Amino acid sequence: MIIEVKNLKKTYEGRVPTHALKDINFGIKKGEFVALMGRSGSGKSTLLHQIGLLDTPTSGEIIMKDTNLVLLSESKKAEFRLKELGYVFQSYALLPELTALESVYLPLMLLNIDKKEYIRKATEMLEKVGLGERIDHLPKEMSGGEQQRVAIARALVNNPSILFADEPTANLDTESSEVILNLFKKLNKENGQTIIMVTHEPDDKKWVDRVIWLKDGVIEK
Amino acid sequence: MNIKTSFFLAYTSIKRGSKGTLVMTILIMTLAYVNLVFISSIFGGIVEAINRESINNQYSNIVIEPGINKTYIDNKEAIQLIDTIPGIIGSSAHYVDKALISYDEYNDGNNIKNGKWVVKSIDIKDERKVTEIHDSIIEGSYLESTDRDQIMIGKEIAGGHGGGLEHLSLGGILVGDKIDVQFSNNIKRTYTVKGIFSVKNTQVDQMAFITKKEMESILKVHNLASEILVKIDNIGEEDIYINEIKNLGLQNEDIKRWDELMGFTSSASSSFTMISVILGVIGTIVAGVTIFIIIFVSVVNKRKQIGILKAIGMKENTIIFSFVIQALFYGIVGIILGASVILFILRPLFIANPLDFPVGWVSLKVTFNIIRISNISLLLASLVGGFFPAYRGARESILKSIWE
Repeated sequence: MIIEVKNLKKTYEGRVPTHALKDINFGIKKGEFVALMGRSGSGKSTLLHQIGLLDTPTSGEIIMKDTNLVLLSESKKAEFRLKELGYVFQSYALLPELTALESVYLPLMLLNIDKKEYIRKATEMLEKVGLGERIDHLPKEMSGGEQQRVAIARALVNNPSILFADEPTANLDTESSEVILNLFKKLNKENGQTIIMVTHEPDDKKWVDRVIWLKDGVIEK
Repeated sequence: MNIKTSFFLAYTSIKRGSKGTLVMTILIMTLAYVNLVFISSIFGGIVEAINRESINNQYSNIVIEPGINKTYIDNKEAIQLIDTIPGIIGSSAHYVDKALISYDEYNDGNNIKNGKWVVKSIDIKDERKVTEIHDSIIEGSYLESTDRDQIMIGKEIAGGHGGGLEHLSLGGILVGDKIDVQFSNNIKRTYTVKGIFSVKNTQVDQMAFITKKEMESILKVHNLASEILVKIDNIGEEDIYINEIKNLGLQNEDIKRWDELMGFTSSASSSFTMISVILGVIGTIVAGVTIFIIIFVSVVNKRKQIGILKAIGMKENTIIFSFVIQALFYGIVGIILGASVILFILRPLFIANPLDFPVGWVSLKVTFNIIRISNISLLLASLVGGFFPAYRGARESILKSIWE
């Protein structure tokens, strides 16, 4: 297993506590393309945030590389996210002042890689997602689909163990969505990239190896 | 922390961010800096004018007065040796008396105006070396060594020249008018007004001067002095010369630096310095708050981006430092432009056209110290003003930053 989730719970405290995740247990194998699906409020995004180390669960374990990631300090979590995880968000999440190339090499800069090397790697990655001609463009000069492909290139440039995608096609038209999901599939098949994707589109089932269905904070099937 | 990435983010943010915001921010920082330096410099200029007037027209650098229970400095040999000390430009011995000066405008015994003022005697040649009153004659001319029945009076005694104490003056004396002077030993003499002077020092403008020989004939003394003013080459080295003067045999005399004698003017100088410091602190706080608001707005606008940067693994310190670099950039550019405005526009302008203050001609006194303190103040303001909003933004949870 590349990642194992044990007894994971997430409760939002308040006057009436909300149990968003109730005792979640599952594992994902290296090279799997998994979809987290369920109705709105089922806990699929919450689950992705916990296993992607973007949030801290109330209890439970997330085991990766023999380490319980829940116990890491914030600084160590940041380091782990940088080296091992990649993210693609629903709303592209690019910095408006960075060109496509700069957006993609930013994580490599954080790893103190040599300038020539990070430019080469970032250029290659952009070519891989079909944006070789757009490397010097700012987000405002690109379409939604292109911006999302830049976000995917950024997420993959560090060779992450797992790529997390939170409804990556929600803001895209059908054609652009198809391009993105095709790209995911290609990366999964050709590079063996492990991908965990949250989606609410039932049709997206066809792209993935496995679907984890959530309902009211528990795994339904 | 990854400093290189912080610089990269700050650089792209400044380079590709809103040009209007950039220009406005730099303009505000430039004005904040000009404000800091200008206020300190103009108050410095006022204090310098007060000091300059005191040195040039009242005390020179060092004042020697008789020891306790003595009326005159009587070590004649020592007095003559003062000028031989290297570095001393000159010395001038005065007799000082408080006299009743009267003016009968119509020579009919009615409507006589009078008042008590300080009358000093001067050795014409010596006095020119220690004071600049000879350059401040507004009517008539300066005394000459041979003058015996002539007197030179300040504008506050003469009246009619826009002095601040007009109501106490003799009401508009002209050169050539005759005035009676009754000295403290009751000897009374009539003098013709030879000259009227005006310096920017009310105390001096309330004095009258006669020649040394004339005063000696009244006081019946010879080659003594009630006070001796000593002019030196370099202001600030008074204590060195005081020691040398004492070593001439003037151990029992009361020898003081000009700034010890300033009294009222000294407290005025201190007050101006205090006001300058207070305004400087307020100016620095305003600059800091301005930077705070600018960075705060920037952080609020980039809240989502901050969340994204954290999500991809950027540490909080790297993000905070990138905003601090931006704030410091605004501060440094503000300092460079502000210093240019001060040094290449305002300072030459004020030197060419000094302000006419009651205490003297006031220019901008831009010192290295003012520049250094203003630089440090604005950089600190930028640092603090940039750090806190950035810290607050970077500490927010990733999910809150991205989705709320």
